Amino acid sequence: MNVELLFQLIVNGLIIGTLYGVVAMCFTLIYKASQIVNFAQGEFLLIGAWVCWWLLTTFQLPFYAGFLMTLAFMMVFGILLQVLVLRPMIGEPIISVIMVTIGLSIFFQAIMSWMFGVFVQPFPRIFDIRSVDVLGLNVQPAYLMSLVISVFIMGGFAWFFKYSRLGLAMRATAFDQQVAQSLGISIKQMFAMSWAISAMVSALAGVVVGVVNGVSSALSFFGIKVFPAVILGGLDSIVGAVVGGLIIGILENVAEYVDGQWLHVGNLYTVAPFYVLIVILMIKPYGLFGTETIERV
Amino acid sequence: MTMRKSTFAFLATTAFAMASAAASADDIKVGNLVDFTGRTAVVGKVFGQSKVDSAKYIDANGGVNGKMIDMDTFDYSYEVPRAISQYKKWKQDGVVAIQGWGTGDTEAMVGFVAADEIPYYSASYSAHLTDPMAKSPDTKKPAPYNFFAAPSYSDGARALIQWAKADWEAKGKTGKPKYVHMGDNHPYPNAPKKAGEEYAAELGFEVLPAIQYSLKPGDFKAQCLSLKESGADYAFLANTSGSNISLLKSCATVGTDVQFMANIWGYDENVMKAAGKAGNGVVWVMGAAAWGADVPGMATVEEISKTGDPNVNYRPVHYMRGICSMFYMKEAMEWADKNGGITGPNIKKGMYQKKDWVPAGLEGVCPPATWTEEDHRGFTDVFVYQGVVPKDPPAGAEIDELMKNGDIGMKKVFEASLPRKPEWLGL
Amino acid sequence: MASNTMMRCGEFKTTYKADTTIFPTPWSRNFAILGVVLLALAPLKFGDFALVDDYYITLMIQIGYLGIAALGLNILVGFTGQISLGHSAFFGFGAFASAWLNNTLGIPVFFSILLAGLWTTAVGMIVGIPAGRIKGLYLAIATLASQFILEDFFSRADWFTGGSAGSLANPFSIFGYEIQGDRQYFYVVLVYVVVMYLLGTNLLRSRDGRAFVAVRDHYLSAEVMGVNLTKYRILSFGISSFYAGIGGALYAHYLQYVSIEGFDILLSIQFLGMVIIGGLGSVMGALMGTAFMVLLPEVMDAGVSVLKNTEWGNIPAITDGLTWIKQASIGLAIVLFLIFEPEGLAHRWRMIKAYWKLYPFSY
Repeated sequence: MNVELLFQLIVNGLIIGTLYGVVAMCFTLIYKASQIVNFAQGEFLLIGAWVCWWLLTTFQLPFYAGFLMTLAFMMVFGILLQVLVLRPMIGEPIISVIMVTIGLSIFFQAIMSWMFGVFVQPFPRIFDIRSVDVLGLNVQPAYLMSLVISVFIMGGFAWFFKYSRLGLAMRATAFDQQVAQSLGISIKQMFAMSWAISAMVSALAGVVVGVVNGVSSALSFFGIKVFPAVILGGLDSIVGAVVGGLIIGILENVAEYVDGQWLHVGNLYTVAPFYVLIVILMIKPYGLFGTETIERV
Repeated sequence: MTMRKSTFAFLATTAFAMASAAASADDIKVGNLVDFTGRTAVVGKVFGQSKVDSAKYIDANGGVNGKMIDMDTFDYSYEVPRAISQYKKWKQDGVVAIQGWGTGDTEAMVGFVAADEIPYYSASYSAHLTDPMAKSPDTKKPAPYNFFAAPSYSDGARALIQWAKADWEAKGKTGKPKYVHMGDNHPYPNAPKKAGEEYAAELGFEVLPAIQYSLKPGDFKAQCLSLKESGADYAFLANTSGSNISLLKSCATVGTDVQFMANIWGYDENVMKAAGKAGNGVVWVMGAAAWGADVPGMATVEEISKTGDPNVNYRPVHYMRGICSMFYMKEAMEWADKNGGITGPNIKKGMYQKKDWVPAGLEGVCPPATWTEEDHRGFTDVFVYQGVVPKDPPAGAEIDELMKNGDIGMKKVFEASLPRKPEWLGL
Repeated sequence: MASNTMMRCGEFKTTYKADTTIFPTPWSRNFAILGVVLLALAPLKFGDFALVDDYYITLMIQIGYLGIAALGLNILVGFTGQISLGHSAFFGFGAFASAWLNNTLGIPVFFSILLAGLWTTAVGMIVGIPAGRIKGLYLAIATLASQFILEDFFSRADWFTGGSAGSLANPFSIFGYEIQGDRQYFYVVLVYVVVMYLLGTNLLRSRDGRAFVAVRDHYLSAEVMGVNLTKYRILSFGISSFYAGIGGALYAHYLQYVSIEGFDILLSIQFLGMVIIGGLGSVMGALMGTAFMVLLPEVMDAGVSVLKNTEWGNIPAITDGLTWIKQASIGLAIVLFLIFEPEGLAHRWRMIKAYWKLYPFSY
C-alpha cells in the first residue's frame, strides 16, 4: 500500500475538488433560485476563460485588470442571458427549459470555437513560481489561488444568504415564489442576480483551469462533471454542492490509485464518480444534504 | 414552417448543383474527409488544409495529364457514422479515390473500400491497414485498397523504442529500462500498443501496465502521479496533441522524471507553444521534412502553401505529410491514365509501379516509399526528432515568430530503418 | 382517447369502441394510409430516373430508425413523465446486440433485430429499477450516470462490441434474399416504422397506456386509484428501451458497422431534443421532431453554401467558420423554437389544422 502516493492523490483531489465545488455551487445557486437545471454551466467556464485570455493577450493587461473585467463581462452576460432567453421560458415545463439550456450550450460552444479556434491556447505567465509544495505534493499556484478565492466565495455566499437582505430575498424566492412575490420581492431581479453571480463565479473557475491547462473547448466538460457533485450533495443545498465537489475530486483520485495499483482497468478515473452516484442515489435519494421532500396528499 | 424551410433548402441545393455542374465530365472525382471541427481538429485542420491546397496546386499546374482533380471536401467532425454516410454518397457520385482521415472511420471502411475498389489514402497510419492479403494472424480484415504516406504507428513506436535503448546506453545506465504505453482506449491510441509493448520487451525493456488518459484535454495530475510512482523511464504518448499538451503540463507540475516519446500526431509546433517548457525534450516521430528544411523539394511546398494562403509563412509539420499523400495519389493516377484509364483498380496498380518512390518536385520532403501487392508498408524509414523549448514562450505569439526567435525548435536525433519483418506485417 | 384532434360539429361517436379507434376521423385515417403509400412509392426508380434523390432516401431512412427510438423516449418522457438522459446508450445496446446475435450466434438478421429489442428491454428494465425510487432531476442525472456506465461497458466488453474497434454487422436479409442498397432498405425501415408506431398508438389507448398518463399527471392520485407506480415506471423504461433497441438494430444493419463512438451523451441530448421539439405526449410529434432534428443540419448546410456563394463568401472569418456557424445555428434554432413554441411541432400542427378547420372564424 503506497501511502505516500495515496496521500498525494488525496491532496490533489482536494485541490481539484474545490474547483468542482465552486462550479457545483454556481449550478445549485441557479437551481435554488429559479428551478432551472443549467446544462450550459460548462460553457460559462469556457466563455470566462476565453474572454480573460483574449483580454490578457490582445491588450497586454495585467492579470488582475483582465480578471476583473472578465467578471464584469460575465455579470452582464448572465443578466442578459436570463432576460433574453430564460424569462420567456418561465412557467414552461421543466424539460423544455432543460432543452433550452442544452441548445444554449451547443450555441456557445460553436461560437467560442469560431471566435477563438480549435487550438489549445496557453495563458500568459501570471505567477512567477512554478509550483508550491503542499503537504508533499507539487501544486500549481493557480490552484492555490483558486482554493483561497473559493473559500472566500463560500464564506461570502454563506454570509450573503444568511445575513444580507438580498440573500434573504433569494432564499425566499427559492422557497416559494408566489409568497415571495406577495411580499414585494421582485422575482425577475432575483433571477437575474442569481444568474449573474453564477456566471461570474463559473468564470473564475474557468480562468483557473485555463491558467493551469490552457484554454480549449474541453473546459465545457466540467459542466458534466458537476452533476455527480451536485447530486451527491443534494440539488438544493449549497453546502452540499461544495462537499459534493470535494468528494468527487477525492473519489476520482482514489479511483485512479486503486486502478493504478491493483485493478489496471484504465479509466476508473473518469467513470468511478458515476458508479458511486448510482449507489448514493439508491441509498440516499436526495443526496447527502438535500431536503427530503415529503409529499403530502 | 418546416415546409418552407425544406423548400428553400431544395431550391438552394438545386441552384448550387446547377452551378457546380459547370465542372467538366473529364474531371477526376476525389473524396476528401477532414476534421476541422471535431475532436482531432487540432491536427486535422493543418492536414486537411494541406490536401485542399495540394489539389488546388495540382490543378493550377496541369492537373493529372491535363485532367483536373475535382475534390469534394467533407468535414465529418470525427463522427464515424457521418463519414460512412458520406462515403456512400461519394460511391454513388463515382469517386475514384478517397483521401481520408481518422483511424475509427478508416478501419471501419476497410471492407467497403475493398468491395467497391476505391483506393483509400488515410491519415491513419495504423498497421492494421498495411496487410492487403490478411497474411498476418493479427489482421481482422484484408486491406487491399488502403494506403498511407507515412511510417505506421507501430513502426514509429519501434523507432522510438530503438532510440530509447540507444539513449539508455548512451547515458551509461545499466539494468532494464522501464517502458509504459499511455493513451486512451480508442482505435487510434490502441493501434501501436501491442506492437510497442512487444518490441520493447524484445529489446530488453521492462513493460509496465499501460496508463489511460483521455483524448479530451483535461487535468491529468492523477495519471501523472501514477506514472511517477511506477518509476517508468520511457513513456509512449499515444494520444493526439490536444490531450498531450495537458498531460505534459500536468506531469511537469507533478515533477515526473520520465522521457516522453510521442506518436506522429502527438507532438508538433502547437504543442511546443502551448505546453511551453513542459514540452521540452520530448522526442517524436516525423514522417516528412519540417518546414524550412534545406531540401530541394521545399520550394514546391512553399508554392503549395502560397496557393492555399499567401499570408501564411509557416506550416506545422503535418502539412508536409498531407502534400505527400496527395502527390503519391496524383502520380499513381498519372500512371493509371496511361494504362487503362483512371479507375480505382488501376490507381491501386499504379501505387506498385515504383520502388523507393519520391514524387517529382518533392525531393527531400517525402522519404522514398515502396508499396507492393502483398505489403502496404510504404515507408520504413522513420525520423525521430526532439523538441527544444528552453523556456515558456510568450503567449499570443504566432508559431512563425516563435520559430524564428528560437523560442521553440526541433532537431533530428535519430533515424531508424526498420526491416520489413513478415511477423510485423499488420501488427 | 389520448388524441387531441379537434372534431368537427356533427361528428360524434356513439360507441365506446368507436371512441378508442386509432384514427379519430376517417380523414385522418385516409391521410395516414395515403402518406404510407406515397412513402412506399418514393424509392422507386424508372431506369435512371429516380423520383427521389438518393441522398433524400438516406435522410428518410435516418428519420425512420431515429424516429422509432424517439417514440420510445416519448413514451417514457411524454406519456409517463419520467426523464431519461441515457437513451442513446440503449440505442447503442440494441445495435451491438443485433450485430452480436447475428455474428456470433448466427441468428438471421430478421430475428436478431427483434431479439435485440427484447434484450435491450431487459437492460432497460434493470436501469428502471432504481428509477422507481427517484423522481425529477435526480432521475435525470441517474440516467445520465447510466449513460456513462453503459458507455464504459461498451468500451470494455470486447467480446460484445469489438472494443474500441467496433463490430461489423451483416446486411438485412429475408428468407435468403439479401437487401442491397439504400432503396431496398428503405422498405424495411418503412415497415418497421409503421408497425412500431401503430403498436405505440395502440399501447397508449390501452389500459397500460392510461396508467402511464395517470402516473405522469398526478402520481399520488394514480397510486390511490390502485395503479402500481413502480411496476408502470419500470414497464415504461422497458418499453422505451425496446423501441430504442429496435431503432439501434436497424441502424446497425444499415451502416453495417457499429462503433461505440456513435453513442455518446450528445446523441441522448439529440433524442431528447427530437421528443421535446416534436411535442411531448404526441405520437406523431416524435416523428416530426426527428425529422426536424435530422433536417436541421441539412438546411443549415444548404443555407451556409448559399452564403458562400454571395459576396459575404469572401470574408475569411466567415468561410473558415462555416461549420461553426452551422452548429451555432442549430443550437440557436433549438433555443428560439422552444421560446416561441414550447409545446412542440405537434401543437403547432394542431393549431394550423384548427385554423383551417374553423376558417374564417378562428379567433
